[in-house]
Parts: sequence; C-alpha cells; structure tokens
Amino acid sequence: MSRQLGRVVSQILNRYFGEIVEKVGNDLFMYGCKPMGMIIKSTGLPRTQVIESLRTLLKFDLATFEAKDVIVDYKLQPENILLLIRYPRYLLQMKTKYGSEAEMLVEELLQQASCTATVLIVSVMNKYKDDKEKNLNIVKLKDTFISLATAGYIQQAPVAEINNEIPVLVPVATIVPDLDVRELINAMNSNLNNVSDNIYWKVNYDRFHLDFRDEVMIKAVTRRIDDNAGELLKLMLEQMYLSSSSWASDSSPVPLTDLKDGCQRIGENMKNHVEQYLRVIEESTGFIRRTGDAGGGQYSVRIQHALIQLVEAVCDHTVTERLGGKAARIFRLIRSKKYLEEDDIQKNAMLPNKECKELTYKLLEEHFISVQPMRKTASAGGMAKAIYLYHVKLHDVAHVVRDMCYRSLHNVMSVSRHRRVLNARLLEKKRRVRTIVHGMRLRGEPQQNIDDVLDTLTPPEVTSAAEAERRLSTLAASELHLDRALFILTSYFTYQR
Amino acid sequence: MAGRGRGRGSGISLTHEQIQALGIARGDNTPAILTPPPLFPKLDVKPLPLNCDAATDYMVIVKDQFIEYLHESPAYVKANTRNDGIERYSDKYKLLALDAKKGNILDCVWTNIPPELRPNAGRSRVTVKKRKLDDPKEIAKRLQTLEKKEIQDTSTEDMETNEDAVKKETEENDEELEDEHEQEEEIDDGTDYANNYFDNGEDYEEEDDNLDDGPVY
Repeated sequence: MSRQLGRVVSQILNRYFGEIVEKVGNDLFMYGCKPMGMIIKSTGLPRTQVIESLRTLLKFDLATFEAKDVIVDYKLQPENILLLIRYPRYLLQMKTKYGSEAEMLVEELLQQASCTATVLIVSVMNKYKDDKEKNLNIVKLKDTFISLATAGYIQQAPVAEINNEIPVLVPVATIVPDLDVRELINAMNSNLNNVSDNIYWKVNYDRFHLDFRDEVMIKAVTRRIDDNAGELLKLMLEQMYLSSSSWASDSSPVPLTDLKDGCQRIGENMKNHVEQYLRVIEESTGFIRRTGDAGGGQYSVRIQHALIQLVEAVCDHTVTERLGGKAARIFRLIRSKKYLEEDDIQKNAMLPNKECKELTYKLLEEHFISVQPMRKTASAGGMAKAIYLYHVKLHDVAHVVRDMCYRSLHNVMSVSRHRRVLNARLLEKKRRVRTIVHGMRLRGEPQQNIDDVLDTLTPPEVTSAAEAERRLSTLAASELHLDRALFILTSYFTYQR
Repeated sequence: MAGRGRGRGSGISLTHEQIQALGIARGDNTPAILTPPPLFPKLDVKPLPLNCDAATDYMVIVKDQFIEYLHESPAYVKANTRNDGIERYSDKYKLLALDAKKGNILDCVWTNIPPELRPNAGRSRVTVKKRKLDDPKEIAKRLQTLEKKEIQDTSTEDMETNEDAVKKETEENDEELEDEHEQEEEIDDGTDYANNYFDNGEDYEEEDDNLDDGPVY
C-alpha cells in the first residue's frame, strides 16, 4: 500500500472508467474503508454519481463491501485494479492455448465481469453471427465453455447469502455445468430475459497466473540450458499438478522412472540423457532438487526457490540498467557473499577504490543494499570502532523494485494520457473518417467517393496522426512489459507470506 | 549545553580521518550552489528498446478495444455536462448521444450488491396525502352543510312543522358530517408526531435531479 501504488491505481481507474470513478477510488484508497455517506462528503460528488461509481467498482471486483449493522463499508482492492492491465495477456493466453472461441468467451466474460453461461454463449453468438470468417457454432462454443470450466479458467462467482438486508458474498465450489444445446438455441431465438439460469460465472485469474508462472520458469530454463531442458521442466510441472497443490512452494517428489516414461514424448535421445539434464537443471538454476534416492532418484520442483531466483534476476537487471554494469557487479558480489565489509567489496569487485565506494554508496542510497553496523563493545580505546557490513535484503529490494515499477507505470500512463489529450481532435477525426469509409465500403459505394472522404484528412494530418498513434502504442506496449515484471514480483511476494 | 565541551568529536559529526576513510578527499567537499532538482532530469542511461512482436501488437489492440468498450458502457461514469453558455452546432449531436446512453444502468447482479446501491432503493419518498379540504368544491359543500346545521339548530323550536320535511335532509347531512369527522380524524391522526420528519441525511448535498436534463436554451 505505498504511495506509488495509490498513484498508479488512480491513473488506471481514470484510463478505464473515467474521472469520477477515479475520484471515488482514490478516496477509498486513502482512507481504507468507508461508508457511502462519507465518500459523498469527502469527494463532494453528487450522490447518484457516487452510487454509479461504486456499482462499477463492485461489478468488476475492484472493491468489496462489508456490512456493519446497517452501514455498509466499501474497501478498494488495489491488486485487482492492477490486473486490469493484464487482461490482454489473459486473452493472448486463451488464443494460443485454446483457440479463438475460448478467447471470445473469456473476452465477453471479462467485459461483463460476471454472467450466466447461457447469456455468455448467446451474446458471443449474437456478436459474431454475421462474421463468416469466424464460422461460429453453438455446439463448439458450449464445448469450449465446458472445457474452460473444467480446466478452471472460469469459475462460479460467489453467491450472495441474504441473512438480513445486506448480502454477504460467499465463494462456492465450481461445478461443471451440463448445458443443453437445444435450450441455448431457444434462448438465442427468444428473449434472453426469460432464461432461468442463475449460476453466474467469472474469470479465475489465479489459474491464468499459474500458467504464466510456469511459462516464465520454462522460458528461463530454456534460455539457460536448451529446449530439451525446458521440455523436461514442463513435464515435471505437469506431474506436479497431478500430485500436489498448484501453489505449493515445493512439489511432492516425482520418481525418475515416471519422468523417463514421459520423456518418450520429447524424443528418444532425451530418454537417455534425463539424468544428466536433471543434474544440470538442479545445479545451474536450482529450480528442481533431488529429494531422495528411492526408485532411481526422486525429484521435486522448488517453486518458491525458483521465484527467488527470478526475482534476483529482475533486481540484477534493474541495477544494471540504472547504475551500470559495475554497480551490478558489486550488487551480485554482496548478495553471493551475504555480508561484506567495505574493504572486502573493493578487493573482490576489483574496482578502483574511489569508484567502488561511490557505487556502493549509490546502491545504498537507492536502497538496493542495506548496511548493518556492528559495534565492538567495551574496547579499550576512547572511540569504539564499528564495522559496517553491507548486505542485500531481497525482500526489501523486491519492494523497492516493485515501487519503481509502479512509478514507471504511472509515468507511462500519464504520458500517454497527455498525448491523447494533445491529439484528441486529430485522433477523433481519423476515427470518424475510418467509420464513414467502412460504412461506405459495406454499402459498396464507388471508389471515387471513398477517396473523396479519405482526402478530408490532409497529408500532414495523416503523418502526425500516425506518429501519435505510434507513440501511444509504444507506451501501451511498455505498460504490458512493465506488467510482466510486476507479475514476477507479486508472485514472489505471494510465496513470502 | 553544559557538558558538551569535550565530547564534540564523538557526536554525529565525523573526524577528519573518518571522512577520509569514507573516501572524501579535501577538495571534494566544496559546497555546491543549491538549486532545486530539474523537473525532467536527464537520463544517465538510455532505456532498452522495446521488442515489439506480433503478440505485443495483438495485446495492444485488444487492450484498446477493451478500453473502448468500457468507455461506451455505463461503467464509465460521466460528469453532468456543464454548459458554458455558448451554443454550438455540435451540441445537438452530443445531446443525442448522451440521451441514448443516459437510460442505461450498469448491468449488475442486484442481489449481490448492498441495497443502497440498487436502483430505486432507499429513496421511497413519503407521498404527501392530498387533503380533501384543499379542493374548493369540498370546502363549499362543507360550508353548506354547516350552514344548514346552524339554521336547523336555531329553528328547531319554531319550525317543528317543517321537521318531517327536513328530517330526511338532516339525516343525510349528519351522515355527511360524520363522514367529515371521520376524515378529519384520519388527518388528525397523522399529527406532527407521526409525520416522517426523520432525515437520515442521505439527501444532504444532493444535487437536483433535474440538473442533468441538459442545458436550457
């Protein structure tokens, strides 16, 4: 709950839901939790708008409420607000893993925040009905929905338990539904309102995060060693899902023979070198560990350790980019030796005295390293000489780096907001021309007329609009990249708790 | 301040040797001119170039679509349009677009939401009962009956003969009077005490709902 987090959260709310929701969200962030009357007072907004904003926040799971007698307290969920930036990544994941039907379903579900299976499938159907390329089929959609529910990418939304006036949301276990195609077709042809389907669904972010986590780990091993090692780790992770809970810090051990069986799939060559590969992965990354010797050796995946390694890599990288390679060398040195005195840093880093000290202090100033004074007690001399030991507290450094990410995310978003305001007129005009031209094309009007409309945008306008769009998309891409770093950091923190 | 005289060196300030041990030479410590830091400091290191592949492009497009969807949906709360008093040609279209969106309420699962956020909740205004006496016809009628009664009272003795003729009418009138009484009681029952003067403060600082009806020309 840092100040940087507050800034980025309000920036995101502004981008996605507008100024009023931003004001309400900011107010809630500042005070923790608050009833509605207080929000109206402190924001000075009219009651109707506060109600609308709260509805939006509750609908998209960006805030929660809690009843105290008759008063309802609202509380912001900053973590969920940050997830808004990750939505495109979820969709990409769906598209690559399950194809475009799954992507459409998840997209619709993300837009609706929560809705019933019937409404979801029917509205996707209606949306892309005219699209011949997609060639949608209601049976296929239904099957995709069921497989998504089985795989846990979507789950049942919490159900309201009404004891008194104010409902309490209680999470429920997901039961994979049995949808009837005929009913779906009926619902599509008739009005949606008379469908009696009251099980609401929503996207299960955690399931996606598991995928991302595995992806990062596999990619790291692939880069460090080779493709086969990546495949082997993938296999081990799959085995892990069978036997232990998915967010466990260490998986339960898998015997070597099982792995060998699985390796058949990767290649005959692989089967002969499994042990060597396991050894190399264990020694060079520490993602897995040999836990026992029974059955030719037992191996487990050390997820928590792997995330520590990944976060260390992120921190190293940040230091390199901020303060240069030499500072990164000092940083790595201190981390590997745990506690180091200043003189030893100089000796081991092999840097000139002054430069080394300067960089060390710089690292200290930016909170990448911390210092632990050790006072010698009761020395004979008048002045007790103290030793200063430098060391790296990974948890603190991860916090620092996360705050940096928040800050740059805020900066990127505010720059793109500024750009958008500057070019609002131009972009609006371009959009309008595009919609008109699109309409004309659909109506099959002659090329001459279309060209006339296109000419309303003068060449300088075209170039500056293209420039503005290019900049905006670069900024958007950097938001997505920042989110990747944030993902590694947050999953590290989930294991630290 | 007493007792500080001898201990100057052991306080916060460092001795010459300590300063040198920290790597600060004699010439290094020249006082710099104090200026506020620049608003946009120069970057020491250029950031790494972004590697944009097809996947990133796809994500950027999806993101824009999602934001556009949200902006069109009622989830995007708009401020009441302020009129700056200048009439513009485009106002008409803007109003049309606004009107189209205005009726939409965010589609929520209402049972999962506190009652105060549900539409038409907590706003059950006490509708003021229209008093029957406000109607001028009623007043006239009542005055008439009262007048008749007065006349009756005074003339009961000397108009015994008329009695039979009047009797029917008086009965009717009495009935009517009783009705009046009952009505009055109804109204009286609702004295100040029972009236809902309780203000829970919800309407405090609430803007007039008519404000968002748009500008007036």
